[in-house]
Amino acid sequence: MTRTKTTAVFNTTGAVKTVLAVAVVVVGLVVTADRIVATSTGGSDIEVGAGGANNSKVSQPVQTATVITADDRPDVFNRAAAARDALGFPVGARRTGKHVRDSYRPTDYDEVEEVDGAGQTLALTQFDPAGRLISAVRFDLPSASSPKVGMDAATKSATRGISASGVAVAGQYRADANPVLDGWDVHWDRSQDGYKVRGDETRVHVWPDGRIQSVAHVEHQLAAAPGQCLGIDDAKKVVTGQFDRWFAGRGSGYEVQQMNLEWVAPNAAFDAAKLSAPPAPYRLAWVANVKPSGVAADYVSLVTLYVDAGDGTVLGGDVVE
Amino acid sequence: MKRAELLLVSILLAASTLGATAQAAFAYRGDVWSNSDGFSSNCLGFTDTYPQQLYNLANAQLAKLGYSPLRGELGPGFTASAFLGNVAAPWAVYVHTHGDNYWAASGYPNVDSGILQDPGSGRCNSASTDMIRSSSIKNATAGGVFNLVIMSTCKLGANASTMPGAFQIQKTKSSTRREFYLGYVNSTYDSAALRFEQAFWSYLNVNLFHLRTASQAFTYAMSIGGYAYPDSSNPFQANWWGNPNYNGTPGW
Repeated sequence: MTRTKTTAVFNTTGAVKTVLAVAVVVVGLVVTADRIVATSTGGSDIEVGAGGANNSKVSQPVQTATVITADDRPDVFNRAAAARDALGFPVGARRTGKHVRDSYRPTDYDEVEEVDGAGQTLALTQFDPAGRLISAVRFDLPSASSPKVGMDAATKSATRGISASGVAVAGQYRADANPVLDGWDVHWDRSQDGYKVRGDETRVHVWPDGRIQSVAHVEHQLAAAPGQCLGIDDAKKVVTGQFDRWFAGRGSGYEVQQMNLEWVAPNAAFDAAKLSAPPAPYRLAWVANVKPSGVAADYVSLVTLYVDAGDGTVLGGDVVE
Repeated sequence: MKRAELLLVSILLAASTLGATAQAAFAYRGDVWSNSDGFSSNCLGFTDTYPQQLYNLANAQLAKLGYSPLRGELGPGFTASAFLGNVAAPWAVYVHTHGDNYWAASGYPNVDSGILQDPGSGRCNSASTDMIRSSSIKNATAGGVFNLVIMSTCKLGANASTMPGAFQIQKTKSSTRREFYLGYVNSTYDSAALRFEQAFWSYLNVNLFHLRTASQAFTYAMSIGGYAYPDSSNPFQANWWGNPNYNGTPGW
């Protein structure tokens, strides 16, 4: 089987070339059709992600985009131009826009792309329905010969850029070298009432030369804090009671490593019946990191449990396999 | 105008017929494997719902890229023998399970990365019996070419990982072949993997025309932020190797 696939790679026959040529024609026509759609004034809907997979009992999230133009949404395009310039992003030969309903992230946003003469996206900016920047990304690459900056300069660059683009941050930042993308990650974790909002942050990736490559601003709606919070001892009883039930008779033990109060998204991590539930506001919860031992340690590194800080119910959690 | 429209329709019909013929002539198989029994109620007392979600997502999105037929298994069919017996055939391979870079007595850097097969119904995973080593995968792929390889596991995107080599993908970001390997560097929450992969696929498959590259999709997914991570020693970090200009579609 491998030999067949390998051989196919290196021995192109005439028939294959003919079929490939036809494929190129088809692709060309399709690309042409795309341009017609993209420039139509009536807008168009594009679906991504829908599809019936095997064994699926849960509908796939979808992303639906409607084309917007500078004529019908000048506010979005002006905002995008301002953010692009504030962040020092490249200017495209043309700009395209769309309004996206994204059940992946899940959020609605307006997106403007800077596109070069060859049709490649140079950069994009995304704004939530209130007009706040939620993502900005440039897709070109820095020159390897550019002078490199240190962490302090990278942090100043990040702070300047997000301030100029209208993103408000509070609290302490943290800066880390990025071992994969090179450069620096500067991020501000969001907190509310003194408690971290899990996953919510403003994050800036700064290239080694000090220019900003991306900005992310993630902020979820929070429920009201409970009138009275469960104490850590009571919360720990909920956690140990849950794991005692889960691990009973399975040859596995556990250790509760850490418990902190955080705002979390209720989720379906341990309960498939909740997979179709709409996103709910984040709730204040005790977040317990539990390290399995025994048999389960072979395949699960960590189980994180969310316990509602108000009523002690399990809201969901996470797994490191 | 009407003649032009008629001509365009005729060309489209002819092209779509020929396109269908071309598609029938070339089957670019994609395999999606996900370990679910190891993360089921039988082994943990609860059923981790992420393996099924990631499996469904990968199936739907590989199909959009043009991989067909889609094979592989969710659950007990994901055995080492099934995986190794099939891994040479597909052009795309997606795996969601436990993964790590294990010590090896020989070969730089003394690492032989591994993934765990599904333990099977009623069984739980054991690293000693369920491991599928990258060295075994490399033997099974026997020099074959792969377009898209995604290891939705912990740590197989780390620099020490030997998994890309099992699929003949060099750990460079400047390949000129049609290849792309994606993995995570550190211990990674399932929720973060799902968020990342949803963003990756949604950017890559934004429409039917495949004008975007996998490396752009990677950049987009990394840039949206919001990823939970276990601790400061394990920040969320994905990684890729391959061709920066490759759009993820099958073939050569």
